[in-house]
Amino acid sequence: MIQIQHLYKSFGNLEVLRDINLEITQGEVTVIMGPSGSGKSTLLRCINLLENITSGTVIVDGHDLKDKNTNINFIRTEAGMVFQQFNLFPHMTALGNVTLGPLKVRKLAKSEADRLGRDILTKVGLADKADVYPDHLSGGQKQRVAIARSLALRPKVMLFDEPTSALDPELVGEVLEVMKQLGREGMTMVVVTHEMGFAREVADRVIFMDEGVIIEENTPEEIFQNPRNERTQNFLRKVI
Amino acid sequence: MDIGFDFKYSVMWESVPMLLTGVKLTILITVFGLLIGFALGALSGLLKISRNLLLRKIAGVYIESIRGTPIMVQVMFIYFGLPLALGMRIPPMVAGIAAIAVNSGAYIAEIVRGAFQSIERGQTEAGRSIGLTHFQTMYYIIWPQAFRRMIPPLGNQFIISLKDTSLLVVVGVGELTRTGQEIIASNFRAFEVWLTVAIMYLIMTLSLSRVLNYIEKKMDINV
Ligand SMILES: Nc1ncnc2c1ncn2[C@@H]1O[C@H](COP(=O)(O)OP(=O)(O)OP(=O)(O)O)[C@@H](O)[C@H]1O
Ligand SMILES: [Mg+2]
Repeated sequence: MIQIQHLYKSFGNLEVLRDINLEITQGEVTVIMGPSGSGKSTLLRCINLLENITSGTVIVDGHDLKDKNTNINFIRTEAGMVFQQFNLFPHMTALGNVTLGPLKVRKLAKSEADRLGRDILTKVGLADKADVYPDHLSGGQKQRVAIARSLALRPKVMLFDEPTSALDPELVGEVLEVMKQLGREGMTMVVVTHEMGFAREVADRVIFMDEGVIIEENTPEEIFQNPRNERTQNFLRKVI
Repeated sequence: MDIGFDFKYSVMWESVPMLLTGVKLTILITVFGLLIGFALGALSGLLKISRNLLLRKIAGVYIESIRGTPIMVQVMFIYFGLPLALGMRIPPMVAGIAAIAVNSGAYIAEIVRGAFQSIERGQTEAGRSIGLTHFQTMYYIIWPQAFRRMIPPLGNQFIISLKDTSLLVVVGVGELTRTGQEIIASNFRAFEVWLTVAIMYLIMTLSLSRVLNYIEKKMDINV
């Protein structure tokens, strides 16, 4: 589903990703962990083309992102992105947020988009919040609307950038629940998170990054029980 | 104590019909001046945040030169200066509307720029991430939010521009202030007439801010 080869990314002189190689197969759930500034967000943003790739190859569902013929807007609908700060559109209701993509990008009719939107809101447990504006939703509800907004485009991959770290602890569970459900349904997911429980339960693989490099990758059991790299060990000690 | 001053209400009432013709012109100049000023301001505000350096520079020069010079000088320049360069006279009304437009445009540009820049980057990214084009993101996501934030400072600017029309007295446009002057020239009742003129400006500015408050409340559906 996603192939990354020799990916480098720099901001000016600052090299943020160095020689990233990664292959993500369909239906796989990959969790990315690592200290702040290690390049986790940047890696996700390169997959969704929110950042330009400095060098290397990123292929999403067979489309080379550097190929001039690749339609960037199309790739973005193939890879849904969920942000730490939700980034809901405050001037639209929950349903409005969810249906904007289907209406303007997929060109569905209003009635069709509404039906789709309500279905997906039901799926994330927010059927009754369809007509509510984001400011009247809790953090957990906002994040679930944001997930629904991405799902409404029927993406092939979902990218999550610390989706629960802006949430009050008691609201984390409801968001993780939705994500676990997605994982069980076979959605391909790349999740930057430090939620060990989630990683243990649904991740097929955990990737550990530091200073722009993937320093270790393994199944959750392996990486949590016997981390090989010293930096992984140090990090896990702090997180647990 | 007699200071030789007898206030006459009747003078105020008598001056009203003539002053109202001035009010009409004041409103006309303000409305057309601001309509053009808004278009000019929106355009230069957007140029100021565009990716093209040259366009940014052009907008910058316009905005800075207007904000850095007195409006009185701008009015004089347009009415007395420009015709010499153009080789044709500019009717006072046209000069007046142009002055208000060019002047308010520069301030509105800054309002527009500020409102757009105050929208978090995450909004653009969220728009792009659901596959909207740059234009669609601007149109459906950024513009509606930016517009809401513009309303209070725009209201301020509208009121300032309305009052600025009184400077057009120097080019002889028969707006409210000029009309007041003309009445005083014939009856010498400066106190009553200027008081009436002031009250008329006040009624206009207060009504304008009422309307703007109402619009602001209406648009603020999601507190
Ligand atoms: N737009 C940018 N311009 C310049 N530097 C940037 C930019 N975005 C990120 N960086 C830098 O790139 C590095 C990696 O950032 P990134 O956000 O990918 O890290 P992260 O692993 O997601 O960290 P965190 O856990 O804090 O979210 C950091 O040093 C950051 O300061
Ligand atoms: Mg990050």
